[in-house]
Amino acid sequence: MPADPTLDLDLAAVLDESRRLAASITPASGPWDAIVVGSGAAGGMAAYQLAMAGVKVLVLEAGRMVDHRKEYRTMEWPYASPRRHRLPPDQRAIAAAEYNFLDRPYGNDPAFAKHKKLASYAGNTFTRNWVVDEKQHPTTGTPYSWVRARVLGGKTNFWGRVAIRYGPLQFQAASRDGFDVDWPFGYEELKPYYDKVDVLLGVSGTKEGLDQVPDGIYQRAHKLNCVEVHFRDAVTKLGRRYIPGRAGVTTDGVLGNKYRARCLGRGRCSRGCDIGATFHSPTALIFPARDSGNLTLRPYSVAAEVFLDPATGRAGGVRVIDANTHEVMDFKAKVVVLGAGCLDSTRILLNSKSARHPDGMGNSTGLLGCYLSEHHMGPRGSGFIPTRIGTEPTLDDGRPTGPYIPRFRNVTDKHPDFIRGYHFQGGSASYEFPGHAQDLPGFGKAFKSSVRKYYPAQFAIGGFGEVLPRKENRVALDAEVKDAWGIPVLRFTYRFSDNEIRMARDMADTADEMLRAAGAENIKIDPTMLPPGWSIHEIGTARMGDDPKASVTDRFCRLHDVPNVYMADAAPFVSGGTQNTTWSILAMCWRTMDHLKEDLRTQA
Amino acid sequence: MKMPVVTRRTALKAIGTAALLPWLSDDALAEFADIQARKAPPKLKVLTQAQYQAVDALVEAIIPRDERSPGASEARVADYIDLLLGEADEPMRSRWLAGLAALDAEAVTRYGAPLVKLSEEQMTALLTDVSRYETVKPRGDAGLETPRNEQPKPRVDTLWGEVRQPLGRQPLETFFADTKQATIHGYYTSEIGIHQDLRYKGNTLLAEFVGCGTEDGTDCPHCGRKAKA
Repeated sequence: MPADPTLDLDLAAVLDESRRLAASITPASGPWDAIVVGSGAAGGMAAYQLAMAGVKVLVLEAGRMVDHRKEYRTMEWPYASPRRHRLPPDQRAIAAAEYNFLDRPYGNDPAFAKHKKLASYAGNTFTRNWVVDEKQHPTTGTPYSWVRARVLGGKTNFWGRVAIRYGPLQFQAASRDGFDVDWPFGYEELKPYYDKVDVLLGVSGTKEGLDQVPDGIYQRAHKLNCVEVHFRDAVTKLGRRYIPGRAGVTTDGVLGNKYRARCLGRGRCSRGCDIGATFHSPTALIFPARDSGNLTLRPYSVAAEVFLDPATGRAGGVRVIDANTHEVMDFKAKVVVLGAGCLDSTRILLNSKSARHPDGMGNSTGLLGCYLSEHHMGPRGSGFIPTRIGTEPTLDDGRPTGPYIPRFRNVTDKHPDFIRGYHFQGGSASYEFPGHAQDLPGFGKAFKSSVRKYYPAQFAIGGFGEVLPRKENRVALDAEVKDAWGIPVLRFTYRFSDNEIRMARDMADTADEMLRAAGAENIKIDPTMLPPGWSIHEIGTARMGDDPKASVTDRFCRLHDVPNVYMADAAPFVSGGTQNTTWSILAMCWRTMDHLKEDLRTQA
Repeated sequence: MKMPVVTRRTALKAIGTAALLPWLSDDALAEFADIQARKAPPKLKVLTQAQYQAVDALVEAIIPRDERSPGASEARVADYIDLLLGEADEPMRSRWLAGLAALDAEAVTRYGAPLVKLSEEQMTALLTDVSRYETVKPRGDAGLETPRNEQPKPRVDTLWGEVRQPLGRQPLETFFADTKQATIHGYYTSEIGIHQDLRYKGNTLLAEFVGCGTEDGTDCPHCGRKAKA
């Protein structure tokens, strides 16, 4: 087999740096005011807010450092690789993550069939060095495709860039339909933080005046192309909106950050943006925070538990297992911030058992791990829009995200079959790979020219729907199975309810309805729901609330039971609406850190 | 997390020389690049020379040279299929090779000549038959009675990948579907497919995204739509 330069990356320098950093930082290197676990959107924002305010902070990242300029192969052509960007069998999924989205012959070795439940877009040739190996990180219970990235920046290395806000429909969802509970505060509480995040990180979009997805402070938007303008006119007649995508990408540049450049419209953003136009926790937050001199970053630091200071009854720090040496170390600080991702932060707390907290820290209610929610996905529709059939292709795939159809169900009306709602993402472009060719009939010159004929006219949308937060959807520690570092793994009990299934059916129907309204040719509707976890938008397993008997954290994401432990990720979120989660994690984390800083100041 | 293998370059670095050597100097890689450029003869892993020629004829019939661009043969799709076969599991490899033999045998039965010797008309007639399933609904298809959104479309393994396909295929049809998908993937990820045939315009620097002209208040040159007065 020929060598493959796209697989054989030289990472020696970044691995050396990671080992050197890990070896040089010990519990004696402190003291620190705060420990932040994780370096993704949550950990990065927490570290940035604290370090910039003069708080001495230690960031613990379970994986290695990342060399974003080398590892992000943003502009690599498929023919740079003899396998055309597919992984060879011996380096296929299992080496990085056993996600069965890869294709024959690389994704279907029978020996790995038992891992087939795990499916995600996130383990491809571009991301395989970042996502975890399922053999080291198993899960048990019901199938859940839990995508984890143990590397500096976490999942912000390959996130989907959709940057939208929760709105009033979300914070007061329960008041509107009677299901479950509202958030402990409303949109007006979080709005100033969304505004600050928009300005700090840069987001492109347009003001539309919608309650479903409130407006932000936008940089240059990505316009609709010809096919999309035609589609917009059609759905407008149905009373729906079709708006330019809102992307967590700076199109006009951000001030005071030497690690980032503005978007150059190259596309291929999911491979990582090697100029830092896409929000990426290291370039946007961690590196600037490190430059303040207040941030210590320790890679290869697997957080096992938050330990208790028996004298005060408060958290004393974080017990760390070095990912390489397996050495166990106790790092101490005044406060602990968990930003390892909703489920891993929850797992750390569940594993933080003591005489005082026998079921895990913050779990006196037994609710820690309950109310796991995310977005269900899958139903999609596609077709060809006549105005561009047979025209020359245009340069229209250099966009970080496609347009957006805001939620239209249960906004002003009441749907008979389900509560809450869904949105669609999707649009059109003359993409590098003509996916539509796979569905066109025939062969020969007629086939080849029909591929070209329909190439500029492709159009597809897919839905994201709210999964109701239900107590019975939960994670707990598995009694027997442990990960590669001896930490108990999560056992999932998670199923979609009838509400999600009925909503998914409606998604397929409305996708069909809108494509017909647009006069699309060759309409194809796929109603299949994707497996649980596919959205990578998990929230809710350390729910916030004002009643300590009914929630795990208070309204500032601080454990009711142990007040110097804060949650920086989406674990405290009460409900997730249809909105992609990252931008809300960033805004919520900023708000939480403002409160933490005030705590530190008043206690000092 | 799996660590990357030690490469020639890292090895050289480790012994303190040639840190600035150009990347990608492995002989084998150069060889493949050569193959891609169609100068070199194929280095086959699985296919025999005769099988290779049959595959080459078949993929060229699926995506032929036309007035715009060369076809799958020049894009070396047969080499790509050989590579896929080399890394496929044994049942898949055997099934696919049996399919190739069966199609060749069908050609001999019908025209007294193997695939490589068929005239364009004969190849077209043969492939028209084995691709008829694409436009004609198989009898007993649940789709006739079931609403469109509830039609079953199971995922079917093919050489190229798992794809959604209706039930009720004949073996030759399955082989054709499989090979067509592999050909599409091999061709449209090649330089010829991307640049010459599709005239793909992306993967370049774009100062500002250009949408429909009407979004900027002008008549659109791409879709012909008029600016709103």
